[in-house]
Amino acid sequence: MPKEGQAQVALSVRWMVLPAVILTLAMVVFPLGYAIYLSFGGGSASGLGVSLYARLFSDPVFWSSLKITLGLFVAALALQLVLGTALALLLNRYDVVRGLVRTAILSPFMIPPVVVGMIAIVVLDPGLGAANWVLQSIGLPPLLWLASPEWSLLVVALIDTWQWTPFVALIVLGGLQSLPGRVYEAAEIDGAIGLKRFWYVTLPLLGPTLLTVAVLRSVDLLRFFDIIYITTQGGPGNATTTLNIYAYKLGFEFMDVGYASSLMIALAIIVFGSVLFFTVLRKKVTW
Amino acid sequence: MNEFKHPWLVKIAFSIGALLFLFPLIWMALSSFKSPLEVTAYPPVLIFSPTLDNYSELFGRTDFLHNTWNSFVVAGGSTLLGLIIATPAAFAISWHRMMWPATVSLFARMAPGTLFLLPWFIMFSKMGLSGTFTALILSHAVITMPLALWILLPYCDGMPREVVESAQIDGCRGPGILMRIVLPMMYPGLIVATIMSFVFSWNYFLFALALSGFETKTAIVASFNFIGEGTTNWGALMAAATVIAMPPLVLTFIVQRWLVSGLSFGAVKG
Repeated sequence: MPKEGQAQVALSVRWMVLPAVILTLAMVVFPLGYAIYLSFGGGSASGLGVSLYARLFSDPVFWSSLKITLGLFVAALALQLVLGTALALLLNRYDVVRGLVRTAILSPFMIPPVVVGMIAIVVLDPGLGAANWVLQSIGLPPLLWLASPEWSLLVVALIDTWQWTPFVALIVLGGLQSLPGRVYEAAEIDGAIGLKRFWYVTLPLLGPTLLTVAVLRSVDLLRFFDIIYITTQGGPGNATTTLNIYAYKLGFEFMDVGYASSLMIALAIIVFGSVLFFTVLRKKVTW
Repeated sequence: MNEFKHPWLVKIAFSIGALLFLFPLIWMALSSFKSPLEVTAYPPVLIFSPTLDNYSELFGRTDFLHNTWNSFVVAGGSTLLGLIIATPAAFAISWHRMMWPATVSLFARMAPGTLFLLPWFIMFSKMGLSGTFTALILSHAVITMPLALWILLPYCDGMPREVVESAQIDGCRGPGILMRIVLPMMYPGLIVATIMSFVFSWNYFLFALALSGFETKTAIVASFNFIGEGTTNWGALMAAATVIAMPPLVLTFIVQRWLVSGLSFGAVKG
């Protein structure tokens, strides 16, 4: 409270958010409204209605894209959380995060996914790629990698795991370092050591951190686009056609703007659903 | 514990692990210096005499220099625009403790880009802005503005209110306070926000893919077109990849200490 003789009027700088609000209205809120309008058939010959959403349910490519999106999401998130936590535990035990190790941790996720995709094209080429040469030189059969109808989605998940596991590890490491030391002392007195200590003490305490990472990664994974568009374009067949890839192709290659919009609204609902799910879960496990 | 008796052993083990992990990036850089015959040789050649042919082809025979310049214009422009908008907003949000604008801006971070892309495409066509830098910079500002806002918020929160209030008593008005008091106090935050915004904008593919025109095509979109051209020249492709990867790598090493808080975008609190 300002006393007499001090500032008579409390400083008001509310108007300073105005440019940010204008940009958000013009570039986010209005386009969102427009996309909703398009998704209900706005601007098309057939008039307003829910026919485009009805079409989603009878479109086999929508269902397969949904399955692929969720499969990629679950596989990559699980891999990244498990490997990232393991890496964080290692880094926490040995104080080595500097020099070459720091370079290895920071580089992958700071370069554009498009560059990662370009490297994947060259390294994972079934005929001339270095990956198959490594496999053959240790006596394993060569693989088709991204050209394989069965395994290409897993390969995409592994590429993303290479790029983002260090990021997960960095955040989990931050979480580990902020854990209260006295909990460990108490656990030691109770005889909880090694794996037991990890499972019953460290992991529950890391819950909020892991769920924060899960939110950040799920937002990116559910919208997966760049690496797939660069490498497989959704193929072979539709093996790596995620919802985002499918919607982009519908909108910009087949000019089916209304249907692509309803698909994107569905995806946005899925993304926000997952964010809400992890956020609520995070509140529950916060200690 | 045994392993602590040999710290150098631990160091060597981690360094080997780091090198193996970096193999794709090392391979990219090596391949960009190979001749066309060597780059597609099988089994791959590890020892070769490095050549700059791929780079001279990339910059000499294609528009890649122009494309790289376009990338700098778009990333630089959207970083500037994002910061000009986000800095006063961060100050106001922090000063009045009103979180809704920050929360709304997160929406842009989470919604699928394609959702905005179709309406933008129609909007920009109607305004005659298709394929212009204006359209690209505005669309990329949707990435940089919320990012800068969330990076700057903690710096604003950490500012002592008394300093701002006493400036007001001395007759300073809103804009003066922002320029003379707030900006100098949070310049480390501004540096981090600038660099992170630039990197995120530089790395972003989807908006430029759909919205850039022939004259404004960015390096990332141009290199995607190389792949589409069928007869892929791996050497030139890896040279392009190396050129594109360089600015983010150089910049992030400048701010590595603050990197994680910037990336987690305000989501990691407590």
